[in-house]
Amino acid sequence: MQTVTREPAAAPRRLPARRARLPVRRRLAGALTGLVVLPLLTLLMHTVLRGILNLSSQMLLYLVAVVVVGLIGGLLPALTAAVAAATLVAYYFMAPIDAFAIADPNNVVALVSFLGAAAVSSVIGLAARRTQEAETLATAIAESREELRVLVAEQASLRRVATLVARGVPPADIFPAVAQEVGSLFGADATPIARLDPDGVATVVAVVGEPPAMLAAGSRWKPEPPLAIAMVLRTGRSARTDDYHDGCGPADNADCRLGIRSAVAAPIVVEGRLWGTIGILGRHERFPADTEQRMVGFTELIGTAVANADSRAQLTASRARIVAAADDARRRIERDLHDGTQQRLVSLCLQLRLAQSAVPAESSELQRQIGRVAEELTGAMEELREIARGIHPAILSEGGLGPALRTLARRAAIPVELDIRTDDRAAEPIEVAAYYVVSEALTNTTKHAHASYAHVSVEKRGSRLHLSIRDDGEGGADPARGSGLVGLRDRVHALDGSIEVNSRRGEGTAIVAELPLRPN
Amino acid sequence: MTVRCLIVDDSRRFVDAARGLLERQGITVVGVASTGAEALEQAAELRPDVTLVDINLGGESGFDVAGQLSRRGDVAPSSMILISAQTEPDYADLIAASPAAGFLSKAALSAFAILDLLGPLDGDSLDPRSAPRGR
Repeated sequence: MQTVTREPAAAPRRLPARRARLPVRRRLAGALTGLVVLPLLTLLMHTVLRGILNLSSQMLLYLVAVVVVGLIGGLLPALTAAVAAATLVAYYFMAPIDAFAIADPNNVVALVSFLGAAAVSSVIGLAARRTQEAETLATAIAESREELRVLVAEQASLRRVATLVARGVPPADIFPAVAQEVGSLFGADATPIARLDPDGVATVVAVVGEPPAMLAAGSRWKPEPPLAIAMVLRTGRSARTDDYHDGCGPADNADCRLGIRSAVAAPIVVEGRLWGTIGILGRHERFPADTEQRMVGFTELIGTAVANADSRAQLTASRARIVAAADDARRRIERDLHDGTQQRLVSLCLQLRLAQSAVPAESSELQRQIGRVAEELTGAMEELREIARGIHPAILSEGGLGPALRTLARRAAIPVELDIRTDDRAAEPIEVAAYYVVSEALTNTTKHAHASYAHVSVEKRGSRLHLSIRDDGEGGADPARGSGLVGLRDRVHALDGSIEVNSRRGEGTAIVAELPLRPN
Repeated sequence: MTVRCLIVDDSRRFVDAARGLLERQGITVVGVASTGAEALEQAAELRPDVTLVDINLGGESGFDVAGQLSRRGDVAPSSMILISAQTEPDYADLIAASPAAGFLSKAALSAFAILDLLGPLDGDSLDPRSAPRGR
């Protein structure tokens, strides 16, 4: 058995936290900017630009500096910078120069307006910046959501497939389910799963979507480059072929002629051997770059399903072979006993009778002696018959299950009611198993159950043979302990059948078994 | 006129012993067949008064051979007896379903037993003294 462990997917990108305030680092940067820019500006206007700019231009330059500080550091540095700028203007550039006093009342109005404008510009700039940040943030959230949605869908899909695998669903049923999941997950137009046979021919075991004719389920073909599957076959690794259209011409580009634009194929590995591939085909868009990586989880699950089914099939087949070999041996021994020893004893018996008839009537003692020998011989033959019957019921091969069970019922020590509703002959191993189930059940009933009667029913239900044996005994039979029942269970399971023993104390015993009419 | 008998059995040993006993008891074994095909051939040719058919006829079923013989009409079903090394209860159902007149365990085979089963036949040359009842 294989188990699949899957690394947890990479954690989704961290979402930016919603910020009520700017971080300290930003506010410090703003303050620093103010401390550098304002003196620099003042120096510049005091020296190089002295006499060139008038007061309003100077104030505009300061305003720009304040807004820049605000954009970087937020409101507090901006307002501080505004006050500092106003102070600087009042001191250096307003008459009287180099004094804080302001002579012209117009200039007082200008300064107050400057402060107001600085404050408003800072607030508006900051708000604009916040809005832009919020938009970026919203986009990031939306992207993360989408990533998360895809991831959740992928995990859910993997889980559904893993559940099927864990339940031991046969690969033939798992293939279409996986193709369906993978196809819808990656938005493929067609999703084929193909088995690669040793002769290099691929067989499509399942396909969903709208496949090109050559990919119809059951179709067989030899994969040739540039098909992605051919590259998987050659390298044993995932492969993709994009932009088939670019090279589409009279050249031998099969997928191109099939109307496929992009194809990705991933290897399915079973116990170290390349078993096959799963492919996704798109007619319109290329598949994203991480597609191959995301398909790994699915191919691992398919590989596990195939490996498990293989082991199960091998186990079942070997059990069936062992049972069949044992049955063959028993049948041969019974045959040998019948054809050899039994016939010899029968002939001996007839010859003895012939000798007896040749003895003159006067020799009554010899007559009697021969008679005794004949009786002994008859007894020995009866014992031998009994042994042969136990080894293999000849009537089973002769007349089938019905007559064999009727003989069994007739020979049972308690009354057995038989309800046989089918005359169809099943395969021999099945009839033998069914016979032994009834035989063992009746033996147990007779020996242990203290029953007054037993009821046996046999009927065909679909493609299976249904057997039921019940008695009115005391119940309490433990199927785990009786070696006969354990042997029966093995025999029935080896044939892909089922058997159930119900034996609650005081309620009698009921054994129900089901066998396929034709073993695999 | 003697009773003419065909034995259908694939065991040489049994056929020899049966022939010895039956012939001493007044039944002539006119033919022996070891397969179903041989049985049909011989029955058509010999038209026996009694036909003994072994149930376990190698690969074939004696019941099938008995059925074929009776369908072909060369042998009257009432003159056919199934034989086996087994005892009757093993095959009771199949014997009942077969067209044959009855069943004899091989060990119990004798001219007397045959006549007992079939009732009086034309051949009345049987010597009761040399044919003690069965076992």
